[in-house]
Amino acid sequence: MKIYVFKKIVLLFPLLFGITLITFTLTNALPGDPVYSMVGERASLQTIEKIRKEIGADKGAVRQYLGYVSLLLTGEMGRSYYTNRKVLDEIAAKFPNTLELAAGAMGIAVPFGILLGLVSAIKKNSISDKLITVFSITGLSVPVFWSGLVLMLFFSLKLKLLPPSGTGNLRYLLLPALTLSLPALASVVRVTRVSVLEVMDMPFVRTARAKGIKEISINMVHILRNVLLPVVTVTGLEFGSYLNGAVLTETIFGWDGIGRFTMEGIMKRDYPVIMGCILAGTLIFVLINLLVDVTYYYIDPRVRVDGTER
Amino acid sequence: MGLNGKISAVLIMVIFTLSLLSPYIVSYDPDSIDLDSLKEPPTMKHFLGTDNKGRDILSRVLYGGRISISIAVLAALISMVTGLLIGLLSGYYGGKLDTFFMALVDLILAFPSLLLAIGVSVIFPPGMYTVMIALSAVGWASFARLIRGQVISLRESTFVEAAKAIGCSNNRILLVHILPQCIPLAFVMTGLKLGGYILAEAGLSFLGLGAQPPTATWGSMISANRVFISSAPWMVLSPGILIAITALSFNVLGDDLREKYAIQKNGRML
Repeated sequence: MKIYVFKKIVLLFPLLFGITLITFTLTNALPGDPVYSMVGERASLQTIEKIRKEIGADKGAVRQYLGYVSLLLTGEMGRSYYTNRKVLDEIAAKFPNTLELAAGAMGIAVPFGILLGLVSAIKKNSISDKLITVFSITGLSVPVFWSGLVLMLFFSLKLKLLPPSGTGNLRYLLLPALTLSLPALASVVRVTRVSVLEVMDMPFVRTARAKGIKEISINMVHILRNVLLPVVTVTGLEFGSYLNGAVLTETIFGWDGIGRFTMEGIMKRDYPVIMGCILAGTLIFVLINLLVDVTYYYIDPRVRVDGTER
Repeated sequence: MGLNGKISAVLIMVIFTLSLLSPYIVSYDPDSIDLDSLKEPPTMKHFLGTDNKGRDILSRVLYGGRISISIAVLAALISMVTGLLIGLLSGYYGGKLDTFFMALVDLILAFPSLLLAIGVSVIFPPGMYTVMIALSAVGWASFARLIRGQVISLRESTFVEAAKAIGCSNNRILLVHILPQCIPLAFVMTGLKLGGYILAEAGLSFLGLGAQPPTATWGSMISANRVFISSAPWMVLSPGILIAITALSFNVLGDDLREKYAIQKNGRML
């Protein structure tokens, strides 16, 4: 176990190197002075000179990259051009909100996704299977920023059940979380359906059935356990789309998270903010994937044998 | 091809044709402002209503579709060609080249795709080409990985060995013997991913990184009109429905293709 996790963590380092290399390249390619992009235009001349020296802006690319990383390591992602606040502080303040939203979306997508997928597979080719299939492929095709607006139109503006926008308690969370969960829900349904169908005809299920175990406990115990792994995989992968979707969903619902922060950065061309958000989002994504890998280990003993099988 | 696939293919053709022929179909200029008919609900005169500047929504949606679809399709094709090229070289030659390209591919796939696309787009001034570049810069990676896998398995096959034995050059083997075997796969993959490209294009235009006003695209129409969702919902509904139908058709078609060619779905693209 320790070795497995250790290996995964070691593999993280080249990835981090690459990610910072790409964000560094993007930062340098931005219009304007990269030093400004990193510290903000309102930084004093002395600070800028100091940082220019620190990152070696006058020196070669390698030195510049090293400078960039060492700045990042000290927690310096620059300051917003507009508010002059530290990007890192802002992200740290807004991150819990995004996490809440993602958790809310996941809380809807995973249980309902598994349930619908299970029903769909057990009653294969029935009307309910077809309806669920249509629902799930639609969920993958409707842009979240639009489904969010439609949900808002119905639940907040027409029925006046929920507040249309803002950050706050469960009532505020419900609509954005539902919006964000739709594509994820759709992929959980699809993955569950496929894996249940795969497992359903396996010898161990037949054995269980032959032993006279109740159908419901076959579904719940024997089949469901085997479905968990692909569901964890897809949920982990979906986390990237939560982050993608959060940019759009949070904008619509005025949810005060990293996504809306990114959007505001884009609107104002506030480069340090944009780059900070991309870097933070990617780091979170990579860490979640690590978490998913570790979770496999617990769910599926087969992974423990060679440490590579998925 | 199954029935669903056929229906989707037809739908896609219809949407493509309507969008491409939009100048001959609609009688209103998509950008012309008409202050006498502001925010009119759908009528016989304006089938989908008008927006807050009195512009005909049907015209805007069709003209916008032309841009949105072209960008998505071109970006998918650029990704495909780039992925094909890199996948061929990487899979055939292996070694350091392969290590380098695959590290790059892993890296690109390590980013949440939309975030990376945003990062690429902000470098350039907003516009159609920016979106196209951003989508291709992110999208080629999964093509390259798939093609590389295919090339590696082809490399060991007897016909390549035979070609080598009779003294074919590497270029000839790659272009004449291996490439044709990869092209169907590449096109199927493109079909699978087009729905994702449509959505991603819409997302980037929604964020204001795409074509600038007054030019309409589906994403930017939703973004610009969303403040009127309560008073004039038709302004937001129609572009969204079109995005959804187009992406849906591509996804259904993709499912059909996937079943036919049995490609493993490795995560969602964009």
